[in-house]
Amino acid sequence: MSKRDTTIGHAVAAATCTLLGTAAPALAEDEAARWDFDTALLYYGEDNDRVRDLSASILARRDFDDDRYLNLDLTVDSLTGASPSGAIAMDGPQTFTSPSGNDVYETAAGQVPLDDTFLDTRFALDVGWTQPFARLYTMTAGLGFSTEYDYTHLGANLGVTRDFNRRNTTVSAAVAYAQEDIDPVGGTPLPLALMQDVGDDSSKAGTDTKDVLDLLLGVTQVIGPSTVLRVNYSYSDSSGYLTDPYKILSVVDPVTGDTIERAPASGALGPTGVYRYEARPDSRRKQGLYAEVKHDFTGKVLGVSYRFGTDDWGIDSHTLDARLRWPIGEFNYVEPHLRYYTQNAADFYRFSLLDGDPLPSFASADARLADLDGVTLGLKYGHRTVSGSEWNARVELYQQSGNVPGGQLIGNQSRRAVFPDLDAVIVQIGYRFKL
Amino acid sequence: MAATSRSVDLAREDGFWVSRFRAMAGPCEVLIETLDATEARVVAERVADCAWRIEDKYSRYRRGNVVDEINTADGRVITVDEETAKLLDFAATLHDLSDGLFDVTSGVLCRAWTFDGGTRVPTQAEIDVLLPLVGWDKVQWSRPKLRLLPGMQLDFGGIGKEYAVDQAVQLARNICGRAALVNFGGDLAVSRSRADGRPWRVGIEDSAVRARAASRVLELRHGALATSGDTHRFVLADGTRYSHILDPRSGWPVRDAPRSVTVAAATCTQAGMLTTLAVLVGNDAERFLEAESVPHWVLRH
Repeated sequence: MSKRDTTIGHAVAAATCTLLGTAAPALAEDEAARWDFDTALLYYGEDNDRVRDLSASILARRDFDDDRYLNLDLTVDSLTGASPSGAIAMDGPQTFTSPSGNDVYETAAGQVPLDDTFLDTRFALDVGWTQPFARLYTMTAGLGFSTEYDYTHLGANLGVTRDFNRRNTTVSAAVAYAQEDIDPVGGTPLPLALMQDVGDDSSKAGTDTKDVLDLLLGVTQVIGPSTVLRVNYSYSDSSGYLTDPYKILSVVDPVTGDTIERAPASGALGPTGVYRYEARPDSRRKQGLYAEVKHDFTGKVLGVSYRFGTDDWGIDSHTLDARLRWPIGEFNYVEPHLRYYTQNAADFYRFSLLDGDPLPSFASADARLADLDGVTLGLKYGHRTVSGSEWNARVELYQQSGNVPGGQLIGNQSRRAVFPDLDAVIVQIGYRFKL
Repeated sequence: MAATSRSVDLAREDGFWVSRFRAMAGPCEVLIETLDATEARVVAERVADCAWRIEDKYSRYRRGNVVDEINTADGRVITVDEETAKLLDFAATLHDLSDGLFDVTSGVLCRAWTFDGGTRVPTQAEIDVLLPLVGWDKVQWSRPKLRLLPGMQLDFGGIGKEYAVDQAVQLARNICGRAALVNFGGDLAVSRSRADGRPWRVGIEDSAVRARAASRVLELRHGALATSGDTHRFVLADGTRYSHILDPRSGWPVRDAPRSVTVAAATCTQAGMLTTLAVLVGNDAERFLEAESVPHWVLRH
C-alpha cells in the first residue's frame, strides 16, 4: 500500500461502524461493572392487625479479579402489631401484666389473647468474602451482626466448595457459629414462673445468651444440559436460652378448662387469671435434608424442592415447594409459586397447664410449636432491561392453620376460639442492577 | 452444509453453557456465562440463526441468494437490499483505503489457484486471462444499483464471517445481560466483560503452534479477535510455499505473507480487515500493525 505511511485504522473503524450501524465501541481495558446490587422492599402483613413487617434490603457484591468477591448484605426491618401470647380465650375479658412489668393490657371476651406491645426495629449486616484458594477450591468466610431492641446476634461462618467433573459437580461444606444475647423488656422470666402484678419483678431474672452451631454439607450436580440437582444436609445445635420470654400459658381448671381466676393485690394492677411464663429445653438439635431439582423445559424452568426437618424437641416438618419460571418474550417472565409446609407439635407443647398437676419440666403454648399446616400461593413478574438490570414484583398469599394435639382441649376450651387461622400477604418489589 | 445438520448442541462446561453448531464451513461456539439453561438456549439459538442467515444470504456456494444473483447477472444491473448495500459500501471503502489490495472481486483467481496443499502452480497465461475480471474499479456501484462486467464474481468471503460474528454478538448483547463469547471458526467477539471482571481466555487456532505443544492464550476483556493466515491452505511448489492470500493486482500470492496474523480490535470486522491487510502487505505485516498500534500477534515460518 502506498498509503502505508498514514495509518488507516481509524478509517477502517469508521467504515466498520457504518457497516454495523453501531457507535464506535471503545476498546477500553477496564470498564467492567464491578458492583452488583440486588435491592428489595418487602411488606408482610397478617390479617386482623397482627404482625406487620416492612423490610428493606440491599445485597451488594463487589467483584475483584481472580474470582474474589466481597458480599455485603444490609437489612432493616420494622415490625409492628400483635402476636398470640399463648394464653387461651375466655368467656370474659382478661387482664395481663405487659412484658415490661410496668403496665397491664386487656383482651376482650372470647378473643385469643394477643400481646400488642410488639414493636421492634431490626438492623442486620452480613459481610462475606469469597475466593479460590487452590485449583477447583473456593472458600467463603463471613461475619454477621444484627441487633434489635432486646436481642443482639454476632456470628461467623466459613465454607469451602470444590468442583469436580469439569465443574459439573460442586461439593460444599460450611460451618457457622453464632452467639446471641437476649435482653427482653422487663427481664427474662424464670421458667414457668407465675405472672405477677405490675411492679413485682420476682418472676424475672436479667439477661441470657444462646449459642448456635450450624453445619451444612451440599452437592450440586449438573445432570444434563437442562437439569440441575442440589442436595443438602444441615445440622444445627442451639444451646442456652431458647425460650420465648414473652410467651405464657394459662393455668386452667382440669374439669371446666377455664383459666383459674386471681385478683391483683389491693391497690395494684395485675393479671386477673393465673398465667405462667413458658419454659423450653436449653438445647435443641435440628437436622434437615433438602433436595431440589431444576429442569429447563426448553425455555420454561421448573424448580421443585422438598425439605425434611427433624429435631429433638419432637418436631418433624415437611416442606414442598414448586416454582415455574415462564418467559414472555425475551425480556419478561412470570413465575407462579406454590409452597406447602406441615409440622407436628413439639413434645412439650401444652395448650394450657392443669391446676393442681405437678409442673412439667418444659411447657410452651406457642402456636409455632403446635401442629400446623401452611400454604403459600404466589406470583412473581420480572422485567429485564436491555442493559441487564431487572425489575421484579412478587405477591404471595399465605394461609396457616393449626391444631391442638388430641386430648389437650378440656371442657369449655373446645367451644372457644383456639388457634386463629392466620392469613398473611407478602408483597415485594425488587431491582437488580450493576455499577 | 446441508440444512439437516443445523442443530445447536448445548452443554455445561467449565462454568459456562457452551453451544456448538456448524456454520460458514466451520465449527462455531458460543460461551454464555450463566447458570440459567433457558437463557443460554435462547442466546445460543438466536446466535446460530444469525450465523445461518448470513451464510445463506452471502455464501457464494448457494444458488438463489443475492450473491448468486449478482454473479449470474451477466452484465445486467442488480438492485440490492439495504444490508448488501452496506457491505458493498464497506468493500468499496476498504478497496480505496488499501489501494486495491482488498478486493471482493478477486475470487475468480481461484479458478487458476487451488490451495489444497498440492504442487500445481498456474502459468502466467492462465492468470492473465482472469485479471480483466478482477478489480473493484471495474464495478459500477451506485447504491443500490450494482453492475459487474460479464464473468466477474463477487465474494464476501473476506468479510462475511467477521461481519456475522459482530452481528451475532450484538444480538447476544441485546437479549442477554450476561457475558457471552461468540467464536465462528477462530474469529470471535465478546458481548461484555465477565461478571467477575476477569478476562476471557482465548487460545489462537494455529496448527504450527499446536504441533509444538505450546499454545498462545490471549486475554480479552472487551471487543474482538480475528485471525487470517494460510495455516491450512497453501500450494507447495519447487520449495516455495504459496499462501492462499492473492494480490488481486497481480493475480499471484502475496510474497512473504505471514503464516498467521491475529489482531484485537473493538469489532471483529475491524480486526478482520486489519489482519487481512496485514497479510496482504506480506513482508511489511509487522510494520503495518505497529503503525496502526493495535494489539497483534504475527506468526511466520
